[in-house]
Amino acid sequence: MIRRPLRPLARILEARAKGENPDAIERENRRLRHEEMRDRARVRAEGRLLVLGLTFFCAFSVIGVRMGMLAASEPSEPRAQASGASIIASRADIVDRHGRLLATNMSTHSLYAHPRQMIEPARAARELAAIFPDLKEADLARRFADPDRKFMWVRKKLSPEQMQAVHDIGEPGLLFGPREMRLYPNGALAAHVLGGASFGREGVHSAEVIGTAGIEKFLDEELRDPAREGAPLELSLDLTVQSAAEQVLEAGMTLLNAKGAASVLMDVRTGEVISIVSLPDFDPNDRPNPLVEGNASDSPLFNRAVQGVYELGSTFKIFAAVQAMDLGLVNPQTVIDTRPPMKVGGHRIGEFDNHNYGEIPVETVIVKSSNRGTGKLALAIGPTRQQAFLKSLGFFEATPLEIVEARGGAPLLPERWTDLSAVTISYGHGISTSPLHLAAGYAAIANDGIAVRPTLLKQRGPQAGERVMSERAALAAQVMLRKVVTEGTASFGEVPGYHVGGKTGTADKPKERGGGYYTDKVIATFAALFPAHDPRYVLVVTLDEPVETSGTKPRRTAGWTAVPVAAEMISRIAPLLGLRPDHRSAAPEALIEASR
Amino acid sequence: MTYLEHKVKSVPAGWRKVLFLNWPLILLLSAVAGVGFLMLYSVAGGSFRPWAEPQMKRFAMGLALMAVVAMVPIWFWRNLSFVAYLVALALLVFVTFFGTAAGGSQRWIDLGFMRLQPSELMKVTLVMLLAAYYDWLPLKKTSRPLWVILPVLLILLPAGLVFEQPDLGTALLILMGGGLMMFLAGVHWAYFAAVIALGGGLVLAVFESKGTDWQLLGDYHYKRIETFVDPTSDPLGAGYHITQAKIAMGSGGWTGKGYMQGTQSRLNFLPEKHTDFIFNTLAEEFGFVGGFSLLILYVLILLFCILSAVQNRDRYSSLLILGIGVTFFLYFAVNMSMVMGLAPVVGVPLPLVSYGGSAMLVLMVAFGLVQSAHIHRPR
Repeated sequence: MIRRPLRPLARILEARAKGENPDAIERENRRLRHEEMRDRARVRAEGRLLVLGLTFFCAFSVIGVRMGMLAASEPSEPRAQASGASIIASRADIVDRHGRLLATNMSTHSLYAHPRQMIEPARAARELAAIFPDLKEADLARRFADPDRKFMWVRKKLSPEQMQAVHDIGEPGLLFGPREMRLYPNGALAAHVLGGASFGREGVHSAEVIGTAGIEKFLDEELRDPAREGAPLELSLDLTVQSAAEQVLEAGMTLLNAKGAASVLMDVRTGEVISIVSLPDFDPNDRPNPLVEGNASDSPLFNRAVQGVYELGSTFKIFAAVQAMDLGLVNPQTVIDTRPPMKVGGHRIGEFDNHNYGEIPVETVIVKSSNRGTGKLALAIGPTRQQAFLKSLGFFEATPLEIVEARGGAPLLPERWTDLSAVTISYGHGISTSPLHLAAGYAAIANDGIAVRPTLLKQRGPQAGERVMSERAALAAQVMLRKVVTEGTASFGEVPGYHVGGKTGTADKPKERGGGYYTDKVIATFAALFPAHDPRYVLVVTLDEPVETSGTKPRRTAGWTAVPVAAEMISRIAPLLGLRPDHRSAAPEALIEASR
Repeated sequence: MTYLEHKVKSVPAGWRKVLFLNWPLILLLSAVAGVGFLMLYSVAGGSFRPWAEPQMKRFAMGLALMAVVAMVPIWFWRNLSFVAYLVALALLVFVTFFGTAAGGSQRWIDLGFMRLQPSELMKVTLVMLLAAYYDWLPLKKTSRPLWVILPVLLILLPAGLVFEQPDLGTALLILMGGGLMMFLAGVHWAYFAAVIALGGGLVLAVFESKGTDWQLLGDYHYKRIETFVDPTSDPLGAGYHITQAKIAMGSGGWTGKGYMQGTQSRLNFLPEKHTDFIFNTLAEEFGFVGGFSLLILYVLILLFCILSAVQNRDRYSSLLILGIGVTFFLYFAVNMSMVMGLAPVVGVPLPLVSYGGSAMLVLMVAFGLVQSAHIHRPR
């Protein structure tokens, strides 16, 4: 910087020459220099002020713009982790054969807590305990107070009322998560088929619904398969028939003081199970816990129709008769000597109430239900052929029904199939099977000799099954079964308009311990087919420990217990199945002629 | 004898001074404080207790203090500047050893009737000191290294003490305020360029030092910086403040939910809702319109300060007014940036609105100085 001198020599000399005071020049120059400096400082200060003003302006603009951006933004809670994003919660509906809902999904909410965000954990615990009586206040408070706990589930699903009540607590640490839950709109109806569902992997935003029992578990993967695209699973069940069957069976069970009951209704051509009932039952919406002690078969979860294997008694007699006829050993009129004594393998074979039926034809053996008669037929058939025949009817394996419980219903068979076994099995002792096994066996007879596989899935047409007996033998057996109702032990089974055929069976219950049989506890079974002249359906009704007390002494035989219940059931469900009542007098004679 | 003192006769005296107060500024300050009362009343759930009432009392006290400070001639305050700085510094040293811990750090001196925060006091006394320094320093020496290092030390000393408390936010405010004062006083721009470059290097060093044994900042500072960069990384932990604050602003929208209708703040989702984060309550209840109006009020206060400074031919007065304006600006700019997620959460209150004793009183005293400089300006 070139500085101008305060006392420029030329001007000083000039001033001296003029006689002026040269100090005035210095003062003047000093003043000019100061002014110059001040100006420069002023310019600089103004520049600095301008920069500051610009900075302020920028800051204001940024803040203002940011304010606008935030005001326009959506106030959404950030998702810390995409938990549940991979969970596919969808599950196909289950419907009956006519498309009526049996199981569906409902959106609901789960309740969870972020204890760290809680303002009044103690109050929240107290009010939650008041809303959900099964939650303990002390327990909740302890868990809310745990400093290591960031998250906890409180409830898996809430009703709208409960949700509102929790909302009203006003605790920001209690949060709701949407989720789908399985809903069975018909309550306990077809409970044993449907089974139930619960939650698998759970996230805050959704949860996996998995089947825990019944068809829900058996077909779990198909129901959850996204490729279904929501197509419902069509069952063979008919909702109205199922409902009627459950009502009648329940009433019969109560009336006859039975501790349990089961029924199976099967379409003999398609193998479709139209209705299958096991009592007592449960509500699959609120599935009870399995019993921790005692006999598992006493639990309402136990499916008597599929899992319960019982000695089904005289209902088996028809299999001996039909096989003997199929093998050409006898015809319905062949006379059998049923007089005592009869000893096989050192055991005496007796009759109910020590009857002596004398020499009677095969048909009457069935109608009167003679043990010695079928025993003789069994001896003629022999154990090997009997085994093969029963195996072809499906009595050697668990039923292939599409519910997980079916696998647990494996029949109990004798270890060594002796002549004695053959004889006792011919009248239904020494072999334990489920009512569904029996229904499938009867279905083969009713389907004119072609075996069908029982199924719960709706079928498009008749099953192409294996022929297990001649049509002639099957038709003759149908006539015999019809005669059991019209002339024999199942006279209460007659339903006007619907020609019912069937066979009763009353088996003493084996003692759980020590072997032997109870004398006052029976399994009463009626296996029926209808309409008898052209059977379409097989119905098996089984009552566990029934007793009919209207007479002078308690009656327990199937004819007094299972048969009336089955008749009532047929009268209720036959119209629902679309069968027209036929009031023409039954003409079994014509059929007998045809079968000869 | 400065130029100013020759002109004493033209300065209003006695009660006439009241007429020469910067009345628009007083009105604006009252308006901002009024917004504060409204919000504190709302945050308490429609109650004067526990915040609105004490805040109003303090504001009244602050107004009285401002009036008293304004009546005293500005040269008295200028002569007191250095002493005031020393007192504030002594208090700051004292608080580091005997202060009352609040919020995890030592910041307060308990005076019985109120809790004094010396770091707040320091902000104003530093401005006074620097204004006096540059008024005293001949213009031509302003940029000489020796005369630059001296004020830098005067700034670094209190900033370091405050940083030790630890109160990063206030320390940064002191640093920035002092730096801007020097900038306004006309220190050569090359110094600032050097400092900015150095600052950049320091920031880099701070991040590099993380996890090593010579780590420069506390762990919680790093966490705050991390969550500032990505608040969603820990929405329930350290990012919680910012996330909830943004939700509050977003749910306010353009016109807000209506007075006392803010759920985020009323339901305790917002932490520090009555202090540092009170702006979110405002934005939630009055929306963009409310928030922007408050911003305009602040801008007007600043504008009146700058006008007053430009009118004032006294170097001390104009530097003091600008310095106080800058301090005020830093307060609300940092606070608003912080609550809107533009800056890390450093704990700076919203001036005159946030609930807080010493911050408000100190600000009112500072504006008293502004008034005094305004009244006693050379004419």
